Amino acid sequence: MNRTALDAVLPNRVIDPGIALGLVAAWVALGIAVWFLSPFATLPTPGQVGAALGDLWLHAGLAQELFTTLRLILHSLAWTVVIALLLSYATVLPAVRPLVGAVSKLRFLGLTGLVIPFTLMTGGGYDLKVALLAFGMTTYFVTAMAQVVADIPRDQFDHMRTLGAGELRILWEVVILGTADKALDILRQNLAIGWTMITMVEGISRAEGGLGAVILNENKHFKLPEVYAIMVLILLVGLVLDYGMGLLSRTVCPYAELDRVRR
Amino acid sequence: MAPDSVVLDVKDVRQKLGGKQILDGVTFQVHDRVRPGTTTGQVTGLLGPSGVGKTRLLRLIAGLDAPDQGEILGPEGTPMPVGSVGVVFQNYILLRHRTVLGNLLAAGTANGMPRREAEEQARALLSRFGLADRADYYPAQLSGGQRQRAAIAQQLVKQKLFLVLDEPFSGLDSAALENVIELFSRIAHNHEDQTLIIITHDIRAAMMVSDTLLLLGRDHDTSGKIASGARIQEQIDLVAEGLAWREHVELDPKFVALERSVKARFARL
Ligand SMILES: Nc1ncnc2c1ncn2[C@@H]1O[C@H](COP(=O)(O)OP(=O)(O)OP(=O)(O)O)[C@@H](O)[C@H]1O
Ligand SMILES: [Mg+2]
Repeated sequence: MNRTALDAVLPNRVIDPGIALGLVAAWVALGIAVWFLSPFATLPTPGQVGAALGDLWLHAGLAQELFTTLRLILHSLAWTVVIALLLSYATVLPAVRPLVGAVSKLRFLGLTGLVIPFTLMTGGGYDLKVALLAFGMTTYFVTAMAQVVADIPRDQFDHMRTLGAGELRILWEVVILGTADKALDILRQNLAIGWTMITMVEGISRAEGGLGAVILNENKHFKLPEVYAIMVLILLVGLVLDYGMGLLSRTVCPYAELDRVRR
Repeated sequence: MAPDSVVLDVKDVRQKLGGKQILDGVTFQVHDRVRPGTTTGQVTGLLGPSGVGKTRLLRLIAGLDAPDQGEILGPEGTPMPVGSVGVVFQNYILLRHRTVLGNLLAAGTANGMPRREAEEQARALLSRFGLADRADYYPAQLSGGQRQRAAIAQQLVKQKLFLVLDEPFSGLDSAALENVIELFSRIAHNHEDQTLIIITHDIRAAMMVSDTLLLLGRDHDTSGKIASGARIQEQIDLVAEGLAWREHVELDPKFVALERSVKARFARL
Protein backbone atom coordinates (compact mmCIF):
# COMPACT_ATOMS: atom_id res chain seq x y z
CA MET A 1 0.00 0.00 0.00
CA ASN A 2 1.25 3.47 -0.83
CA ARG A 3 1.96 5.70 2.10
CA THR A 4 0.35 9.10 1.96
CA ALA A 5 0.01 12.08 4.25
CA LEU A 6 -3.53 10.88 4.89
CA ASP A 7 -2.12 7.90 6.83
CA ALA A 8 -1.16 10.27 9.63
CA VAL A 9 -4.79 10.63 10.64
CA LEU A 10 -5.72 6.97 10.23
CA PRO A 11 -5.10 4.54 13.07
CA ASN A 12 -2.14 2.12 13.09
CA ARG A 13 -0.52 3.35 9.89
CA VAL A 14 3.16 3.59 9.09
CA ILE A 15 4.20 7.06 7.99
CA ASP A 16 7.29 8.36 6.21
CA PRO A 17 10.05 9.86 8.37
CA GLY A 18 9.62 13.14 6.48
CA ILE A 19 5.95 13.32 7.36
CA ALA A 20 6.73 12.36 10.96
CA LEU A 21 9.14 15.29 11.17
CA GLY A 22 6.56 17.57 9.62
CA LEU A 23 4.07 16.47 12.26
CA VAL A 24 6.47 17.37 15.06
CA ALA A 25 7.11 20.79 13.48
CA ALA A 26 3.37 21.39 13.13
CA TRP A 27 2.71 20.54 16.79
CA VAL A 28 5.58 22.77 17.96
CA ALA A 29 4.24 25.63 15.83
CA LEU A 30 0.78 25.09 17.26
CA GLY A 31 2.19 25.13 20.79
CA ILE A 32 4.03 28.39 20.20
CA ALA A 33 0.97 29.91 18.55
CA VAL A 34 -1.15 29.01 21.57
CA TRP A 35 1.47 30.55 23.81
CA PHE A 36 1.48 33.82 21.78
CA LEU A 37 -2.27 34.02 21.70
CA SER A 38 -2.77 32.98 25.30
CA PRO A 39 -5.44 35.00 27.08
CA PHE A 40 -3.68 34.54 30.46
CA ALA A 41 -2.03 37.80 31.37
CA THR A 42 0.21 36.06 33.91
CA LEU A 43 1.86 34.01 31.18
CA PRO A 44 5.00 35.83 30.02
CA THR A 45 5.42 36.07 26.26
CA PRO A 46 8.08 33.98 24.50
CA GLY A 47 10.05 37.19 23.99
CA GLN A 48 10.11 37.98 27.72
CA VAL A 49 11.12 34.44 28.58
CA GLY A 50 13.88 34.46 25.96
CA ALA A 51 15.22 37.75 27.28
CA ALA A 52 15.12 36.48 30.87
CA LEU A 53 16.98 33.32 29.86
CA GLY A 54 19.70 35.34 28.12
CA ASP A 55 20.00 37.66 31.09
CA LEU A 56 20.21 34.84 33.64
CA TRP A 57 22.76 33.01 31.53
CA LEU A 58 25.00 36.01 30.90
CA HIS A 59 24.74 37.94 34.16
CA ALA A 60 23.39 35.69 36.89
CA GLY A 61 25.68 32.67 36.40
CA LEU A 62 22.95 30.30 35.26
CA ALA A 63 25.53 28.12 33.51
CA GLN A 64 27.23 27.56 36.87
CA GLU A 65 23.90 26.67 38.49
CA LEU A 66 23.14 24.25 35.68
CA PHE A 67 26.50 22.60 36.20
CA THR A 68 25.81 22.28 39.95
CA THR A 69 22.50 20.60 39.27
CA LEU A 70 23.86 18.26 36.61
CA ARG A 71 26.65 17.21 38.92
CA LEU A 72 24.19 16.46 41.70
CA ILE A 73 21.91 14.47 39.43
CA LEU A 74 24.69 12.41 37.87
CA HIS A 75 26.32 11.75 41.23
CA SER A 76 23.02 10.54 42.70
CA LEU A 77 22.26 8.54 39.59
CA ALA A 78 25.59 6.74 39.87
CA TRP A 79 24.73 5.65 43.41
CA THR A 80 21.24 4.70 42.35
CA VAL A 81 22.48 2.50 39.53
CA VAL A 82 24.93 0.66 41.75
CA ILE A 83 22.56 0.12 44.68
CA ALA A 84 19.43 -0.61 42.66
CA LEU A 85 21.11 -3.01 40.24
CA LEU A 86 22.79 -4.93 43.06
CA LEU A 87 19.47 -5.21 44.89
CA SER A 88 17.59 -6.23 41.74
CA TYR A 89 20.10 -8.88 40.68
CA ALA A 90 20.18 -10.15 44.25
CA THR A 91 16.51 -11.11 43.90
CA VAL A 92 17.72 -14.34 42.28
CA LEU A 93 18.36 -15.31 45.91
CA PRO A 94 14.98 -15.99 47.50
CA ALA A 95 16.36 -14.87 50.88
CA VAL A 96 16.83 -11.30 49.62
CA ARG A 97 13.41 -10.87 47.99
CA PRO A 98 11.57 -9.54 51.08
CA LEU A 99 14.24 -6.88 51.59
CA VAL A 100 14.02 -5.76 47.99
CA GLY A 101 10.25 -5.74 48.16
CA ALA A 102 10.47 -3.49 51.21
CA VAL A 103 12.86 -1.07 49.50
CA SER A 104 10.48 -0.88 46.58
CA LYS A 105 7.55 -0.02 48.86
CA LEU A 106 9.51 2.88 50.37
CA ARG A 107 8.71 4.93 47.27
CA PHE A 108 5.37 5.75 48.91
CA LEU A 109 7.21 7.63 51.65
CA GLY A 110 8.09 10.65 49.58
CA LEU A 111 11.20 12.65 50.37
CA THR A 112 10.04 15.58 52.49
CA GLY A 113 9.69 13.66 55.73
CA LEU A 114 13.09 12.11 55.30
CA VAL A 115 15.01 15.36 55.33
CA ILE A 116 15.66 15.37 59.06
CA PRO A 117 16.80 11.77 59.53
CA PHE A 118 18.94 12.05 56.40
CA THR A 119 20.44 15.32 57.65
CA LEU A 120 21.41 13.60 60.88
CA MET A 121 22.97 10.75 58.94
CA THR A 122 24.84 12.76 56.31
CA GLY A 123 25.54 15.99 58.10
CA GLY A 124 23.58 17.97 55.54
CA GLY A 125 24.77 19.94 52.53
CA TYR A 126 25.72 18.27 49.27
CA ASP A 127 25.85 14.79 50.78
CA LEU A 128 22.32 15.14 52.07
CA LYS A 129 21.07 16.04 48.61
CA VAL A 130 22.87 13.14 47.00
CA ALA A 131 21.48 10.78 49.62
CA LEU A 132 17.91 12.07 49.24
CA LEU A 133 17.94 11.93 45.47
CA ALA A 134 19.63 8.54 45.36
CA PHE A 135 17.09 7.23 47.85
CA GLY A 136 14.16 8.57 45.87
CA MET A 137 15.41 7.21 42.56
CA THR A 138 16.52 3.87 44.01
CA THR A 139 13.03 3.03 45.25
CA TYR A 140 11.65 3.51 41.73
CA PHE A 141 14.56 1.85 40.00
CA VAL A 142 14.37 -1.23 42.22
CA THR A 143 10.64 -1.51 41.69
CA ALA A 144 11.00 -1.62 37.92
CA MET A 145 14.20 -3.60 37.71
CA ALA A 146 13.26 -6.32 40.20
CA GLN A 147 10.15 -6.85 38.09
CA VAL A 148 12.28 -7.20 34.95
CA VAL A 149 14.40 -9.83 36.70
CA ALA A 150 11.32 -11.64 37.98
CA ASP A 151 9.87 -11.67 34.46
CA ILE A 152 12.80 -13.50 32.86
CA PRO A 153 11.22 -16.68 31.49
CA ARG A 154 12.29 -19.84 33.23
CA ASP A 155 13.18 -21.29 29.82
CA GLN A 156 16.11 -18.90 29.60
CA PHE A 157 17.68 -20.38 32.71
CA ASP A 158 17.01 -23.95 31.61
CA HIS A 159 18.43 -23.23 28.18
CA MET A 160 21.74 -22.07 29.67
CA ARG A 161 21.78 -25.06 32.00
CA THR A 162 21.48 -27.44 29.06
CA LEU A 163 24.48 -25.70 27.54
CA GLY A 164 26.45 -26.67 30.63
CA ALA A 165 26.64 -23.20 32.18
CA GLY A 166 27.08 -22.90 35.94
CA GLU A 167 24.71 -20.78 38.00
CA LEU A 168 27.13 -17.84 38.16
CA ARG A 169 27.56 -17.81 34.42
CA ILE A 170 23.77 -17.96 34.10
CA LEU A 171 23.46 -14.99 36.45
CA TRP A 172 25.87 -13.04 34.25
CA GLU A 173 24.45 -14.11 30.89
CA VAL A 174 20.72 -14.26 31.52
CA VAL A 175 20.09 -11.95 34.47
CA ILE A 176 22.71 -9.24 33.94
CA LEU A 177 23.50 -9.14 30.20
CA GLY A 178 20.08 -10.41 29.18
CA THR A 179 18.30 -7.49 30.85
CA ALA A 180 20.86 -4.78 30.05
CA ASP A 181 18.59 -3.11 27.51
CA LYS A 182 15.74 -2.93 30.02
CA ALA A 183 18.08 -1.63 32.72
CA LEU A 184 19.08 1.20 30.39
CA ASP A 185 15.43 1.95 29.65
CA ILE A 186 14.68 2.13 33.36
CA LEU A 187 17.74 4.29 33.94
CA ARG A 188 16.36 6.63 31.31
CA GLN A 189 13.01 6.86 33.09
CA ASN A 190 14.79 7.32 36.40
CA LEU A 191 16.79 10.21 35.13
CA ALA A 192 13.48 11.91 34.37
CA ILE A 193 12.14 11.06 37.83
CA GLY A 194 15.30 12.44 39.44
CA TRP A 195 14.97 15.58 37.33
CA THR A 196 11.48 16.18 38.73
CA MET A 197 12.75 15.79 42.33
CA ILE A 198 15.50 18.34 41.83
CA THR A 199 13.54 21.45 42.81
CA MET A 200 12.49 19.93 46.09
CA VAL A 201 15.92 18.58 46.95
CA GLU A 202 17.85 21.71 46.00
CA GLY A 203 15.37 23.80 47.93
CA ILE A 204 16.47 22.19 51.18
CA SER A 205 19.65 24.21 51.37
CA ARG A 206 19.70 26.89 48.77
CA ALA A 207 23.15 28.15 49.63
CA GLU A 208 24.76 25.66 47.30
CA GLY A 209 22.67 26.85 44.40
CA GLY A 210 21.54 24.78 41.47
CA LEU A 211 18.57 25.26 39.16
CA GLY A 212 16.11 24.17 41.84
CA ALA A 213 17.34 26.83 44.27
CA VAL A 214 17.26 29.53 41.59
CA ILE A 215 13.73 28.70 40.54
CA LEU A 216 12.54 28.85 44.16
CA ASN A 217 14.23 32.23 44.67
CA GLU A 218 12.75 33.71 41.52
CA ASN A 219 9.38 32.28 42.50
CA LYS A 220 9.54 34.06 45.81
CA HIS A 221 10.11 37.39 44.05
CA PHE A 222 7.36 36.60 41.58
CA LYS A 223 9.72 36.98 38.62
CA LEU A 224 7.66 34.91 36.24
CA PRO A 225 9.72 35.34 33.05
CA GLU A 226 12.78 34.11 34.97
CA VAL A 227 10.85 31.16 36.40
CA TYR A 228 9.63 30.18 32.94
CA ALA A 229 13.12 30.67 31.51
CA ILE A 230 14.52 28.18 34.00
CA MET A 231 11.67 25.80 33.31
CA VAL A 232 12.46 25.99 29.61
CA LEU A 233 16.11 25.30 30.40
CA ILE A 234 15.21 22.33 32.62
CA LEU A 235 13.01 20.99 29.86
CA LEU A 236 15.68 21.42 27.19
CA VAL A 237 18.45 19.86 29.28
CA GLY A 238 16.09 17.03 30.22
CA LEU A 239 15.38 16.41 26.55
CA VAL A 240 19.08 16.41 25.69
CA LEU A 241 19.82 13.94 28.50
CA ASP A 242 16.92 11.76 27.43
CA TYR A 243 18.12 11.80 23.84
CA GLY A 244 21.64 10.91 25.00
CA MET A 245 20.30 7.99 27.01
CA GLY A 246 18.33 6.77 24.03
CA LEU A 247 21.43 6.97 21.87
CA LEU A 248 23.46 5.10 24.48
CA SER A 249 20.89 2.37 24.74
CA ARG A 250 20.67 1.96 20.95
CA THR A 251 24.45 1.75 20.70
CA VAL A 252 25.01 -0.66 23.57
CA CYS A 253 21.93 -2.81 22.94
CA PRO A 254 21.13 -2.68 19.21
CA TYR A 255 19.08 -5.86 19.53
CA ALA A 256 16.46 -4.18 21.71
CA GLU A 257 15.24 -2.10 18.78
CA LEU A 258 14.75 -5.28 16.72
CA ASP A 259 12.26 -6.71 19.18
CA ARG A 260 10.05 -3.68 19.06
CA VAL A 261 7.16 -4.23 16.77
CA ARG A 262 7.08 -1.63 14.04
CA ARG A 263 3.63 -0.83 12.94
CA MET B 1 30.94 -50.08 23.41
CA ALA B 2 29.63 -53.62 23.25
CA PRO B 3 27.04 -54.26 20.57
CA ASP B 4 23.46 -53.91 21.71
CA SER B 5 24.44 -52.22 24.95
CA VAL B 6 21.91 -49.86 26.47
CA VAL B 7 22.64 -46.16 25.97
CA LEU B 8 19.51 -44.89 27.68
CA ASP B 9 17.54 -46.72 30.32
CA VAL B 10 14.30 -45.13 31.46
CA LYS B 11 12.85 -47.10 34.34
CA ASP B 12 9.31 -46.68 35.63
CA VAL B 13 9.40 -42.90 35.58
CA ARG B 14 6.50 -41.12 37.26
CA GLN B 15 5.70 -37.45 37.59
CA LYS B 16 2.71 -35.71 39.10
CA LEU B 17 1.93 -32.09 38.25
CA GLY B 18 -0.86 -29.98 39.64
CA GLY B 19 -2.39 -33.03 41.31
CA LYS B 20 -2.49 -34.97 38.03
CA GLN B 21 -0.41 -38.01 37.26
CA ILE B 22 1.23 -36.94 33.98
CA LEU B 23 3.90 -39.61 33.55
CA ASP B 24 2.70 -42.90 34.91
CA GLY B 25 5.43 -45.52 34.71
CA VAL B 26 7.32 -44.61 31.55
CA THR B 27 9.76 -47.40 30.74
CA PHE B 28 11.93 -47.87 27.66
CA GLN B 29 15.48 -48.48 26.56
CA VAL B 30 17.55 -47.13 23.71
CA HIS B 31 20.08 -49.64 22.43
CA ASP B 32 23.32 -48.99 20.68
CA ARG B 33 22.89 -49.55 16.96
CA VAL B 34 25.69 -51.22 15.09
CA ARG B 35 26.20 -51.64 11.35
CA PRO B 36 29.45 -53.24 10.28
CA GLY B 37 31.52 -50.81 8.25
CA THR B 38 29.25 -47.79 8.84
CA THR B 39 29.28 -45.31 11.66
CA THR B 40 25.79 -45.49 13.09
CA GLY B 41 24.31 -43.45 15.84
CA GLN B 42 20.88 -43.92 17.40
CA VAL B 43 17.74 -42.02 16.49
CA THR B 44 14.60 -42.55 18.52
CA GLY B 45 11.37 -40.91 17.49
CA LEU B 46 9.09 -40.22 20.45
CA LEU B 47 5.51 -39.81 19.28
CA GLY B 48 2.54 -38.77 21.30
CA PRO B 49 -0.53 -36.56 21.19
CA SER B 50 -0.44 -32.98 22.38
CA GLY B 51 -0.43 -32.54 26.14
CA VAL B 52 0.45 -36.15 26.88
CA GLY B 53 3.74 -35.33 28.61
CA LYS B 54 6.46 -35.39 25.94
CA THR B 55 8.07 -32.13 26.96
CA ARG B 56 7.94 -33.12 30.62
CA LEU B 57 9.69 -36.38 29.79
CA LEU B 58 12.31 -34.47 27.82
CA ARG B 59 13.00 -32.26 30.83
CA LEU B 60 13.54 -35.35 32.95
CA ILE B 61 15.91 -36.92 30.40
CA ALA B 62 17.83 -33.63 30.18
CA GLY B 63 18.19 -33.57 33.98
CA LEU B 64 16.30 -30.26 34.28
CA ASP B 65 13.71 -31.83 36.58
CA ALA B 66 13.81 -34.91 38.77
CA PRO B 67 11.10 -37.57 38.50
CA ASP B 68 8.91 -38.31 41.52
CA GLN B 69 9.80 -41.93 41.08
CA GLY B 70 11.93 -44.12 38.83
CA GLU B 71 15.26 -43.35 37.23
CA ILE B 72 16.88 -42.41 33.98
CA LEU B 73 20.33 -43.81 33.32
CA GLY B 74 22.80 -42.85 30.60
CA PRO B 75 25.38 -44.96 28.74
CA GLU B 76 27.53 -45.29 31.86
CA GLY B 77 24.62 -46.70 33.82
CA THR B 78 24.42 -43.52 35.89
CA PRO B 79 22.08 -40.52 35.70
CA MET B 80 23.19 -37.92 33.19
CA PRO B 81 23.83 -34.53 34.83
CA VAL B 82 22.18 -31.44 33.42
CA GLY B 83 24.44 -29.96 30.77
CA SER B 84 25.52 -33.33 29.41
CA VAL B 85 22.37 -33.70 27.32
CA GLY B 86 21.87 -31.20 24.52
CA VAL B 87 18.32 -29.87 24.31
CA VAL B 88 16.68 -28.05 21.45
CA PHE B 89 13.53 -26.59 22.96
CA GLN B 90 10.17 -26.41 21.26
CA ASN B 91 10.55 -22.65 20.69
CA TYR B 92 14.24 -22.58 19.67
CA ILE B 93 15.55 -20.50 22.55
CA LEU B 94 18.58 -18.34 21.84
CA LEU B 95 20.22 -15.52 23.78
CA ARG B 96 18.53 -12.48 22.27
CA HIS B 97 21.33 -10.12 23.30
CA ARG B 98 23.97 -12.02 21.38
CA THR B 99 24.51 -12.46 17.67
CA VAL B 100 24.31 -15.91 16.11
CA LEU B 101 28.07 -16.29 16.42
CA GLY B 102 27.92 -14.87 19.95
CA ASN B 103 25.31 -17.45 20.88
CA LEU B 104 27.54 -20.27 19.72
CA LEU B 105 30.58 -18.78 21.46
CA ALA B 106 28.63 -18.46 24.71
CA ALA B 107 27.67 -22.12 24.42
CA GLY B 108 31.35 -23.03 24.10
CA THR B 109 32.68 -20.84 26.88
CA ALA B 110 29.82 -21.79 29.22
CA ASN B 111 31.32 -25.26 29.05
CA GLY B 112 34.79 -24.00 29.87
CA MET B 113 36.00 -24.37 26.29
CA PRO B 114 38.85 -21.96 25.41
CA ARG B 115 37.51 -19.05 23.37
CA ARG B 116 39.67 -19.77 20.35
CA GLU B 117 38.54 -23.36 20.17
CA ALA B 118 34.93 -22.28 20.63
CA GLU B 119 35.25 -19.79 17.78
CA GLU B 120 36.75 -22.37 15.42
CA GLN B 121 34.03 -24.82 16.27
CA ALA B 122 31.32 -22.16 16.01
CA ARG B 123 32.43 -20.96 12.58
CA ALA B 124 32.64 -24.52 11.28
CA LEU B 125 29.11 -25.22 12.50
CA LEU B 126 27.75 -22.03 10.99
CA SER B 127 29.10 -22.96 7.55
CA ARG B 128 27.79 -26.46 7.92
CA PHE B 129 24.34 -25.15 8.80
CA GLY B 130 24.29 -22.54 6.05
CA LEU B 131 24.44 -19.68 8.53
CA ALA B 132 27.92 -18.33 7.78
CA ASP B 133 26.50 -15.14 6.28
CA ARG B 134 24.20 -14.67 9.28
CA ALA B 135 26.94 -14.88 11.92
CA ASP B 136 26.50 -11.24 12.91
CA TYR B 137 22.70 -11.24 12.95
CA TYR B 138 20.73 -11.10 16.16
CA PRO B 139 18.14 -13.84 16.77
CA ALA B 140 15.35 -11.33 16.11
CA GLN B 141 16.66 -10.97 12.55
CA LEU B 142 16.48 -14.67 11.68
CA SER B 143 13.78 -16.57 9.85
CA GLY B 144 12.11 -19.46 11.67
CA GLY B 145 14.23 -22.05 9.89
CA GLN B 146 17.46 -20.14 10.46
CA ARG B 147 16.58 -19.76 14.11
CA GLN B 148 16.02 -23.47 14.41
CA ARG B 149 19.36 -24.29 12.79
CA ALA B 150 21.12 -21.74 15.03
CA ALA B 151 19.53 -23.34 18.12
CA ILE B 152 20.66 -26.80 16.99
CA ALA B 153 24.15 -25.56 16.11
CA GLN B 154 24.41 -23.97 19.55
CA GLN B 155 23.86 -27.33 21.19
CA LEU B 156 26.56 -28.91 19.02
CA VAL B 157 29.40 -26.53 19.87
CA LYS B 158 30.40 -28.80 22.67
CA GLN B 159 29.98 -32.33 21.45
CA LYS B 160 27.34 -34.14 23.45
CA LEU B 161 26.47 -37.75 22.89
CA PHE B 162 22.84 -37.07 23.70
CA LEU B 163 20.68 -34.61 21.88
CA VAL B 164 16.96 -34.24 22.59
CA LEU B 165 14.84 -32.21 20.19
CA ASP B 166 11.33 -31.03 21.00
CA GLU B 167 9.08 -30.71 17.93
CA PRO B 168 11.87 -29.92 15.50
CA PHE B 169 9.60 -30.42 12.47
CA SER B 170 6.93 -27.90 13.31
CA GLY B 171 6.43 -25.03 10.90
CA LEU B 172 8.62 -26.44 8.12
CA ASP B 173 7.56 -26.69 4.48
CA SER B 174 8.21 -30.02 2.75
CA ALA B 175 11.56 -28.98 1.26
CA ALA B 176 12.80 -27.63 4.59
CA LEU B 177 11.53 -30.81 6.26
CA GLU B 178 13.64 -32.99 3.92
CA ASN B 179 16.65 -30.81 4.73
CA VAL B 180 16.16 -31.09 8.46
CA ILE B 181 15.71 -34.86 8.27
CA GLU B 182 18.90 -35.06 6.25
CA LEU B 183 20.64 -32.82 8.80
CA PHE B 184 19.56 -35.01 11.72
CA SER B 185 20.78 -38.12 9.93
CA ARG B 186 24.15 -36.51 9.41
CA ILE B 187 24.38 -35.46 13.06
CA ALA B 188 23.31 -38.88 14.30
CA HIS B 189 25.61 -40.93 12.10
CA ASN B 190 28.62 -38.74 12.64
CA HIS B 191 29.62 -40.67 15.72
CA GLU B 192 29.00 -44.24 16.80
CA ASP B 193 27.84 -43.17 20.28
CA GLN B 194 25.61 -40.29 19.20
CA THR B 195 21.99 -40.59 20.26
CA LEU B 196 19.14 -38.37 19.12
CA ILE B 197 15.71 -38.38 20.65
CA ILE B 198 13.26 -36.58 18.45
CA ILE B 199 9.95 -35.61 19.97
CA THR B 200 7.22 -34.96 17.47
CA HIS B 201 3.70 -35.62 16.35
CA ASP B 202 4.80 -35.80 12.72
CA ILE B 203 4.61 -39.58 12.26
CA ARG B 204 5.98 -39.66 8.74
CA ALA B 205 9.00 -37.45 9.49
CA ALA B 206 9.73 -39.46 12.62
CA MET B 207 9.62 -42.71 10.65
CA MET B 208 11.94 -41.32 7.98
CA VAL B 209 14.70 -40.38 10.38
CA SER B 210 14.42 -42.88 13.25
CA ASP B 211 15.57 -46.41 13.88
CA THR B 212 13.12 -46.78 16.75
CA LEU B 213 9.66 -45.36 17.34
CA LEU B 214 8.14 -44.92 20.77
CA LEU B 215 4.48 -44.16 21.24
CA LEU B 216 3.71 -42.29 24.43
CA GLY B 217 0.06 -42.34 25.38
CA ARG B 218 -2.55 -42.90 28.06
CA ASP B 219 -4.61 -45.99 28.73
CA HIS B 220 -8.32 -45.80 28.02
CA ASP B 221 -11.08 -47.81 29.62
CA THR B 222 -13.72 -49.61 27.61
CA SER B 223 -15.87 -46.49 27.33
CA GLY B 224 -12.92 -44.59 25.86
CA LYS B 225 -12.24 -42.48 28.95
CA ILE B 226 -8.63 -41.75 29.91
CA ALA B 227 -7.66 -44.22 32.60
CA SER B 228 -4.05 -43.41 33.42
CA GLY B 229 -1.14 -41.05 32.96
CA ALA B 230 1.22 -41.44 30.05
CA ARG B 231 3.37 -44.48 29.45
CA ILE B 232 5.04 -46.09 26.47
CA GLN B 233 2.25 -47.89 24.63
CA GLU B 234 4.32 -49.32 21.84
CA GLN B 235 7.94 -49.57 20.73
CA ILE B 236 8.58 -50.21 17.05
CA ASP B 237 11.98 -51.37 15.83
CA LEU B 238 12.31 -49.90 12.33
CA VAL B 239 15.59 -51.78 11.78
CA ALA B 240 13.84 -55.09 12.30
CA GLU B 241 11.11 -53.91 9.93
CA GLY B 242 13.80 -53.12 7.33
CA LEU B 243 12.73 -49.50 7.29
CA ALA B 244 15.74 -47.77 8.80
CA TRP B 245 18.79 -46.14 7.20
CA ARG B 246 17.36 -46.17 3.70
CA GLU B 247 17.06 -43.43 1.19
CA HIS B 248 13.54 -42.81 -0.10
CA VAL B 249 12.24 -45.29 2.43
CA GLU B 250 8.98 -43.33 2.47
CA LEU B 251 8.18 -44.71 -1.01
CA ASP B 252 8.29 -48.33 0.21
CA PRO B 253 4.74 -49.76 0.44
CA LYS B 254 5.72 -51.33 3.75
CA PHE B 255 6.58 -47.87 5.10
CA VAL B 256 3.25 -46.54 3.91
CA ALA B 257 1.38 -49.41 5.54
CA LEU B 258 3.20 -49.01 8.85
CA GLU B 259 2.64 -45.26 8.76
CA ARG B 260 -1.07 -45.89 8.34
CA SER B 261 -1.22 -48.33 11.25
CA VAL B 262 0.79 -46.03 13.54
CA LYS B 263 -1.55 -43.20 12.60
CA ALA B 264 -4.56 -45.34 13.52
CA ARG B 265 -2.95 -46.31 16.82
CA PHE B 266 -2.03 -42.69 17.47
CA ALA B 267 -5.61 -41.58 16.99
CA ARG B 268 -6.66 -43.76 19.90
CA LEU B 269 -3.97 -42.55 22.34
N1 LIG C 1 3.82 -26.80 35.57
C1 LIG C 1 2.77 -27.57 35.33
N2 LIG C 1 1.79 -27.72 36.25
C2 LIG C 1 0.72 -28.51 36.02
N3 LIG C 1 0.54 -29.20 34.90
C3 LIG C 1 1.48 -29.11 33.93
C4 LIG C 1 2.65 -28.29 34.09
N4 LIG C 1 3.39 -28.39 32.98
C5 LIG C 1 2.73 -29.21 32.16
N5 LIG C 1 1.59 -29.66 32.73
C6 LIG C 1 0.62 -30.58 32.13
O1 LIG C 1 1.34 -31.74 31.78
C7 LIG C 1 0.84 -32.27 30.57
C8 LIG C 1 1.98 -32.58 29.65
O2 LIG C 1 2.61 -31.39 29.24
P1 LIG C 1 3.76 -31.42 28.13
O3 LIG C 1 4.23 -30.04 27.94
O4 LIG C 1 4.76 -32.44 28.49
O5 LIG C 1 2.92 -31.90 26.84
P2 LIG C 1 3.49 -32.31 25.40
O6 LIG C 1 3.26 -33.76 25.25
O7 LIG C 1 4.86 -31.81 25.23
O8 LIG C 1 2.48 -31.54 24.45
P3 LIG C 1 2.76 -30.73 23.08
O9 LIG C 1 2.89 -31.73 22.01
O10 LIG C 1 1.50 -29.94 22.93
O11 LIG C 1 3.98 -29.91 23.28
C9 LIG C 1 -0.13 -31.25 30.00
O12 LIG C 1 -1.43 -31.75 30.10
C10 LIG C 1 0.05 -30.04 30.85
O13 LIG C 1 -1.18 -29.40 31.09
MG1 LIG D 1 5.71 -30.27 24.20
